Amino acid sequence: MKIFIDPPNSLVLFDLVERFGHQPLSTMAAIQERVDNIEVDMPPMNVTLDDVVKGLKYAGVEVPSGVRGRLAMWGPLIEEADAAIVMDDCPYSFGCVGCERSNLMVKYLLKRRGIPVLRVSYPENDEQAVNFVAQTKEFLEGMK
Amino acid sequence: MSEERETRLFMISPGSMLTPDQMVRMIHSFGDEVLVKETCYGCLVEGPRDLVIAVRDKIRENYRNEVFTKVRAYPCSDPRRCRAQHGTRPGFAQLEMEWELLARIQYGLAQVEKGAVYVPAKEKKRISVNDFKKICEVQQ
Repeated sequence: MKIFIDPPNSLVLFDLVERFGHQPLSTMAAIQERVDNIEVDMPPMNVTLDDVVKGLKYAGVEVPSGVRGRLAMWGPLIEEADAAIVMDDCPYSFGCVGCERSNLMVKYLLKRRGIPVLRVSYPENDEQAVNFVAQTKEFLEGMK
Repeated sequence: MSEERETRLFMISPGSMLTPDQMVRMIHSFGDEVLVKETCYGCLVEGPRDLVIAVRDKIRENYRNEVFTKVRAYPCSDPRRCRAQHGTRPGFAQLEMEWELLARIQYGLAQVEKGAVYVPAKEKKRISVNDFKKICEVQQ
């Protein structure tokens, strides 16, 4: 099954989803498509007109362009996903930093889609890490 | 995702005794026709998707919980990203944060393999007014 991960560029979540037998939906795959197929200078910093229009589907025109640009990339992934794993309480520089509103919007879009979402906390010590891995494993094995 | 090219980033957990040099030599010894680039945290592997996935599986056979991997959007040595070619390397802050976390995840995976299960945290309850009064009185 296709699992959306949040933060969408997380190595740990990407690895765990693959390890337990599912396909992770991440920013990297979305950017790779743009790197390979579209002649823009440096995705995701540069976007095409199509991206801006796509972003309008997920956020209104009054929303800052940065939010729309991010959602143009993550929105289709959320639509494609069968389930999602969201990591809460991450340190400041963990994940896609720069726009908390985009991150809140992602959580809202996931809730609106109504797919199963696992909310896990960032593990601060070994005990929490065991709980984090066990919880993720149980969730992913239950999705098969 | 493109079937033509896949670039994968392999990161070694700080709890492992494996070095990037050993890992690169090991991947070369597999004999797959992939491009391997040694980095400070592990290595990058680039090639057709099925070959890269095969390399990932072989690494997992040997170092199951010590090496972590994810897809990388840009190709190896892309001048827009590679620091050796004066690129900006904007993803490194995230990699550094994840590297710090990997030893804990390695421990978590090992414990789960041994049979550890998820234990929900105890719910926090409000204390009664009488208990709170007692605490206040003791502190006076």
